[in-house]
Amino acid sequence: MERETIHSERLGEQMIRLRHRSGLTMLLCPMKGYSTAYATFTANVGSVDTGFKTQDDVDFVDVPEGIAHFLEHKMFENEDGDAFLKYAKTGASANAYTSFDRTAYLFSCTDNFAESLEILLDFVRRPYFTKESVQKEQGIIGQEIRMYDDDPDWRVMFNLLGALYQNHPVRIDIAGTVESIAKIDHELLYRCYRTFYNLNNMVLSIAGNFDVDTVLEVADRVLKPDEKPIEITRRTFAEPEGVYKPRVEQKLAVAIPLFQLGFKGKNYGMPGNLQNQVLDEILIDVIAGEASPLYRRLYDAGLINATFATEATAGRDYMYTIFAGESHDPDKVAEEIKAEIRRMRKDGVDERLFELTRRATYGRYLGMYSRTESVAGLMTTSYFGGMDNIYVFLDIVANATIEQMNERLAVAFDPEKSALSIVYPQEG
Amino acid sequence: MENQFLREKIGDGVHFYQVTDPKFKHNRITVNLILPLCRESVTVNAVLPFLLRKGCKSCPDFTKLNQKLCELYGASLSCDVSKFGAYQVLELSIYGIDNRFTLGGETMAAECAGLLTDVLLAPNFGADGLFPETDVETERQQLMDTIEGQINDKRVYALSRCKALMCEGEPLAIEKYGYIDDAKKITPESATAAYEKAIETAQVEISFVGCGNPATAKKIFTDAFAKVRRSPARMEKYVTRPQADQPKETKEELDVAQSKLVLGFRTGAIRDQETFGAMRMMVALFGGTPNSRLFTYVREKLSLCYYCAARFDRLTGLMMVDSGVEKVNKQKAQDEILNQLGVMQRGEFTDDELTATKLLLQNALRSVTDSLGATEEWYLTQVMDGGSSSPADEIALIDTVTREAIIKAANQVTLDTVYFLTGKGDA
Repeated sequence: MERETIHSERLGEQMIRLRHRSGLTMLLCPMKGYSTAYATFTANVGSVDTGFKTQDDVDFVDVPEGIAHFLEHKMFENEDGDAFLKYAKTGASANAYTSFDRTAYLFSCTDNFAESLEILLDFVRRPYFTKESVQKEQGIIGQEIRMYDDDPDWRVMFNLLGALYQNHPVRIDIAGTVESIAKIDHELLYRCYRTFYNLNNMVLSIAGNFDVDTVLEVADRVLKPDEKPIEITRRTFAEPEGVYKPRVEQKLAVAIPLFQLGFKGKNYGMPGNLQNQVLDEILIDVIAGEASPLYRRLYDAGLINATFATEATAGRDYMYTIFAGESHDPDKVAEEIKAEIRRMRKDGVDERLFELTRRATYGRYLGMYSRTESVAGLMTTSYFGGMDNIYVFLDIVANATIEQMNERLAVAFDPEKSALSIVYPQEG
Repeated sequence: MENQFLREKIGDGVHFYQVTDPKFKHNRITVNLILPLCRESVTVNAVLPFLLRKGCKSCPDFTKLNQKLCELYGASLSCDVSKFGAYQVLELSIYGIDNRFTLGGETMAAECAGLLTDVLLAPNFGADGLFPETDVETERQQLMDTIEGQINDKRVYALSRCKALMCEGEPLAIEKYGYIDDAKKITPESATAAYEKAIETAQVEISFVGCGNPATAKKIFTDAFAKVRRSPARMEKYVTRPQADQPKETKEELDVAQSKLVLGFRTGAIRDQETFGAMRMMVALFGGTPNSRLFTYVREKLSLCYYCAARFDRLTGLMMVDSGVEKVNKQKAQDEILNQLGVMQRGEFTDDELTATKLLLQNALRSVTDSLGATEEWYLTQVMDGGSSSPADEIALIDTVTREAIIKAANQVTLDTVYFLTGKGDA
């Protein structure tokens, strides 16, 4: 078993990384004074994995949209009952989620940590799918999809991704569609499971109130080594650098138009994309954060309201940034943001504002190291992102330079590679 | 480590409470102005935190204020309006890293408390002694957007509609952000008058939650409020009807894909901690967890929905059950929800379910002290409810709840209102 302790001088804290003999990588960060332990067991698969094969498969399999999320739901059912019923005996609060490129099973608990961990490591390793149980889940997930159909924030975002990307599956909804999930059957689920849920390709992250020896003891008992490591080949998609469509609209039952203006960034793969995400978070705040002149202009003109927000997102092979909010004139907001970006690309990033923003981002990132769920999240993100450890994020912020900002501005904020998504109110 | 809750009076109707724990890296200081919910004043009151957030005497420019916050390592100054029972709470909050983590040894907690005091008590009034006209104009429009934007989240919207129908004519029905017609009428004069009245009459609860030393912050607030003329209104707990009469049913149409079903219940009089503990357990077992009756039957067994949950508001004694369903399945879902309530009332739940619910509730309670926000809200709710129980006290309380008490609690519950938000036409 390889074991390594990683220190942060900046924070005076540490975490442990080890590779269990089963092949599973574990990232462990015991935190003093906390009541809760937060554990996530994560597979490197998400909604973007729509075509793949292993070293043993002759051909790629193309799976229905939403299958990773469907699999997540179905994992909770084992031959001997529902995982929630097992957690019921420990009191842990359990859940799971699927994102673009990962599926995480998690619990948080204040007592009975060993028992809860055993449940987690066990149920995710024992798939049990039947025709009937798949059918039942189609009803439940169908309602989850319908709920999101009415969610204007969700719709405006996926409409944007559909406009930014032409072929890349980041453009499809994580849960798929009612039609696509109707094509899912238990055999496809098993194939998906066998491909992605190999211990060598998963990671266990735990932060908070727990003891490292307990984790090892439970892992030794529960985790049998996988028969052999699986090599996954994912279908790649030829994605042009430009956007698919510059503009997309939809009408929904909302009061004020919602908008998202997105910029398609250049893909550097991991860990480059992840590092750039942190830099873009700073830059996006320099451009339109509350301390920026642009924010002030838009706010005073009544063009944006308190819902205005920004984000930078990095994945395995995609990278984008978003300016989002409600506005009575979304086109005008988009024009103003793009004009400001053009001006900054010409004049360079304002040094004082950059320094202020870097300092603010530092304070915000610091907060992430004192919450168990965000520490666990950072550990998983850094691991799948090929980053050395969780403290690198803070270093990237602390060491960010104005040169990096100007470079990111040139590469990732090209107004020609942007798209605007709007959700308008229904008429009448 | 057990966090200690300390609350003391630092002025006329002004209280300061603190909960500290060295494990955190930040401090969160919040000022809550607590005002009775009232149809006439609710809207103009709702604009106040947002007007104050625009600047203060020491930092009148909005952008400069935000830059100052950046200098304070990205301290965030946030404001909002919330509703606790029959009260409207105007909150102004600052969240920043503690002195220990600054690069230049700044005294963060004092700086943050000072800034928050300025924002609250020294607004950027013009020469006429009023909020600036342009600020009022912008924030009036912002408030109108917020009021109208509540329709975006259909689940929250449906819940709020059901509550409003249920408590028609009572303060509990009043919307926390107020009403569009009243928002249109806000002027610098009316906003300034509302501000002055709020500062004079509100009950003020200031909280300090974090890892730092609250002493300086407390002194800053004590000194600042000593200069304010105060005649605070007494806070009384509002008691709504404990029982429903004949259930009312309302259907509303909107362009939605999924229909929202909300059932509003009254839960009898919650007289003491014992009946409260029993009701809390009852609601959790009925629909508060992934092992609950509603999750197991309405979602897992009947496959009717993605969510079906019950929640209990200790300040009003209302229990709301909601679910997102297909239009055609409305009656099926409603029947099963009421059927499961019958199961609770007849005590046909297992001891395993009871134990599981206790464990899960206690787990959630133990987690409260790991979050600054959750800790702050916990104690504010306590204060609003006239108590001072810690999460640990409530863990002990939950332990004592018996099966009989849960059955009794379930039998206190009466259906008041069925609200159905659904798509237009037959589809």
